[in-house]
Amino acid sequence: MNALDLDGLLTFWGRRWDDILELVLQHLAVVALSLLIATVVGVLIGILVWNRPVPRSLTIAAAGVALTIPSLALLALITPVFGLGWTPTVLSLVFYSLLPIVRNTVVGLREVSPAIMESAKGMGMSPAKILFAVQLPMAWPIILTGVRVAAQLTIGIAAIAAYVAGPGLGQFIFQGLSSLGSKNALNFALTGTLGVVLLALVVDGAFVLISRSTTSRGLRV
Amino acid sequence: MSESTATGITAIAQHTSGVEIVLDRVVKVYPGQQAPAVQDFSMTVAPGELVMFVGPSGCGKTTTMKMINRIIEPSSGSISIGGRDVLSLDPNELRRHIGYVIQQIGLFPHMTIAENIATVPKLLGWSKPRIAERVDELLETVQLDPGTFASRYPKQLSGGQQQRVGVARALAADPPVMLMDEPFGATDPITREKLQAEFLRLQESIGKTIIFVTHDFDEAIRLGDRIAVLSDRSRIEQFDTPANILAEPANDYVASFIGHGAALKRLALVPVEEATLGAAVGTSGAPTIEFAGNLRDALDVLVLTGLPAVDVVDEQGRAVGSLSVDRISAVLGAELPGRTAGSRAGAR
Amino acid sequence: MTVTTETQAIGATRVAEAPARPRFFTWRRFTTPIVVVVVLALLLLWVSTLQLDSIEQRTLNWSYITLRVGEHLSLTVVASALVAVLAIPTGILLAKTRSATVRNVILAIANIGQATPAVGVVILLAILWQTGYTTALVALVVYAFLPVLRNTMIGIQQVDANVRESARGMGMTPNQVLTRIEVPLAVPVILAGLRTALVFCVGVATIATFINAGGLGDMIVNGLKLQRYPVLVVGAVLVACIALLIDWIAGFAEDLLKPKGI
Ligand SMILES: Nc1ncnc2c1ncn2[C@@H]1O[C@H](COP(=O)(O)OP(=O)(O)OP(=O)(O)O)[C@@H](O)[C@H]1O
Ligand SMILES: [Mg+2]
Repeated sequence: MNALDLDGLLTFWGRRWDDILELVLQHLAVVALSLLIATVVGVLIGILVWNRPVPRSLTIAAAGVALTIPSLALLALITPVFGLGWTPTVLSLVFYSLLPIVRNTVVGLREVSPAIMESAKGMGMSPAKILFAVQLPMAWPIILTGVRVAAQLTIGIAAIAAYVAGPGLGQFIFQGLSSLGSKNALNFALTGTLGVVLLALVVDGAFVLISRSTTSRGLRV
Repeated sequence: MSESTATGITAIAQHTSGVEIVLDRVVKVYPGQQAPAVQDFSMTVAPGELVMFVGPSGCGKTTTMKMINRIIEPSSGSISIGGRDVLSLDPNELRRHIGYVIQQIGLFPHMTIAENIATVPKLLGWSKPRIAERVDELLETVQLDPGTFASRYPKQLSGGQQQRVGVARALAADPPVMLMDEPFGATDPITREKLQAEFLRLQESIGKTIIFVTHDFDEAIRLGDRIAVLSDRSRIEQFDTPANILAEPANDYVASFIGHGAALKRLALVPVEEATLGAAVGTSGAPTIEFAGNLRDALDVLVLTGLPAVDVVDEQGRAVGSLSVDRISAVLGAELPGRTAGSRAGAR
Repeated sequence: MTVTTETQAIGATRVAEAPARPRFFTWRRFTTPIVVVVVLALLLLWVSTLQLDSIEQRTLNWSYITLRVGEHLSLTVVASALVAVLAIPTGILLAKTRSATVRNVILAIANIGQATPAVGVVILLAILWQTGYTTALVALVVYAFLPVLRNTMIGIQQVDANVRESARGMGMTPNQVLTRIEVPLAVPVILAGLRTALVFCVGVATIATFINAGGLGDMIVNGLKLQRYPVLVVGAVLVACIALLIDWIAGFAEDLLKPKGI
């Protein structure tokens, strides 16, 4: 049993401010890196499959199934090969981010109306030109939504990755667990958890801003 | 209280053909709005009458209609159906005896067509065989083959077919009163015309009291016994038969609603028998017009053939007289308000 | 917000992929169980070729494994059942609340809840209360409650206003509108929420090992700690297979239970 002591928590924060900040930055960095990789890979996969029915449904089905695999299982499975720390963390975060990104890329690319595609073709644009000048810009808001969903997902999963020595706020949560019974256990776990929640909310807010500033004015609702 | 409610409902439910509807100084003010959406609306609809509400978008047609089955509660005023004060009845019981068709159809997507139509009979506790029989009967009435459509789901029907199911569903418990809010709104002109014709034939045999909202004036002329032309806040600008409104629009507002070609629209409402016929011409091979036709058809023939007169024939094909442009004009000039009241026969 | 858009995206894909006449038993439908069986067979084959030391023998035997699988399933199923019983009625009540403020506050809380890491919830509960099965169960219920609650609310609220109005116009009482129209029409969305909850639970139950609540997480964590990779691999593969199977069964149930015509 361990009750919350607000003064203690504040002192804890005061003393560990540097640590907390570093963990927040680590958490942010690992999520950002993974999202970057996943966005590049995911959009590429999306571009490759969106117009081919069989690969498309296979990819989306596989991605959907992959998302159900518990994150601790995946993290543990890849440690024998990739060791501990950043590598398995980034790999599994990329893995989980791919589903929403690929799926939304496919949906976004397919949503461009046939009339628009035809008029682009009619103006003499090549398929590649149509893709980059018409389809991708129009699909961008939807792709970005996929990235945003992936961000929420990975911020949470990164917390578990601390168990395989991954970076970020999860380290505080697990420190709370390992110091179970001691005075600081609650402070550690609470700081880690709250930090993740705040980070998730801030990142989500940031995505709203990004989406506003990178979406063509004509597409905004 | 419950007893009076019960007798009130029974009084309405006993009827299957129309009953009288009276609205008296009905007002609706939506919460948070200054101006009323409906202001001092009074109207008496005779039993078995088909009254059309026409007016521009937002003038309050729907609001007025929905107060009758209390989907919207009036702010003040009184409404009675068959002499019973609607506001004193249990709204749910009341609605089971008022057929209701909304513009957006609103079929229940998770129920088959048969289940959709059976909704009110089920609420009223009818027996299974009676319901099944009624469903088949209604599907046939709206010209949908029960074998094909009964077990389908709404999404498997075209827009026009869904509209018909909407009408069938409203008719299910044979209510004396029907409220129809642009029931044929979402269909193409051809389907719409077909539905209108079917609907007229249907109404001739069932004789419900119907309030029918539309913003298509031609539809109003075609279907209505009487038309209420409404302006903002559901103000009644004119409430009369189609022929009278066409002949004598009460004011500029009504005239602008009728639009161009009022005379032609009127001719379509006047049967040939109203005209004073001249002597038969008897030109062989020339087209003729039937005695039961209307003056617009006659004019059509005159314009197309370029002849000075066209023969009118009776059912046996015998020429009984002839019509010329002058004689047709004379009918419009001589026609007095009220004389041709209710003569919709020519519209078909 | 996010999730609405996401479900819309999912919806769009599903609609696009749906064949003209959906058939119930197709090859694709049985891909998942076939894959799972093949993977399990390969796992068994691989383990049987290994020389197990004494530590490994203690865990890589049938009785130990069935015990852990049992714990894992019991946590998952009991928690999901509790969530269904608690969250669906609450969601219906909330959807029918007149006050939009109450609904918005709940949805906001649900969104924040979504952002809370599961490990955090589990470990905080253990620190504040106790370790063990009950704590894990409570954590699972808390965690899976929100998606079901939210889906129930959204499912009921998204019922077409015209459908609702024509039901009222035909003389259904508010309760009849709820039970005959709104709830049946919300079923697909509610079921999707339950499916999410089940898959969540399988994942979070893995973490239960951290607070001594058993489950297959035990094998994963022990394998990692003791550097016994076969133990780790068996635990991880088993839990992944369970997740796949449960998702598959839930998907199957979804197709069976959702009203036709939608
Ligand atoms: N639920 C409501 N709350 C507030 N105002 C409403 C509501 N429903 C309608 N109004 C307002 O009342 C007025 C009349 O609306 P109503 O729906 O009766 O018009 P209508 O004649 O049926 O129009 P339309 O032809 O477009 O269907 C409009 O100004 C409308 O904005
Ligand atoms: Mg209207």
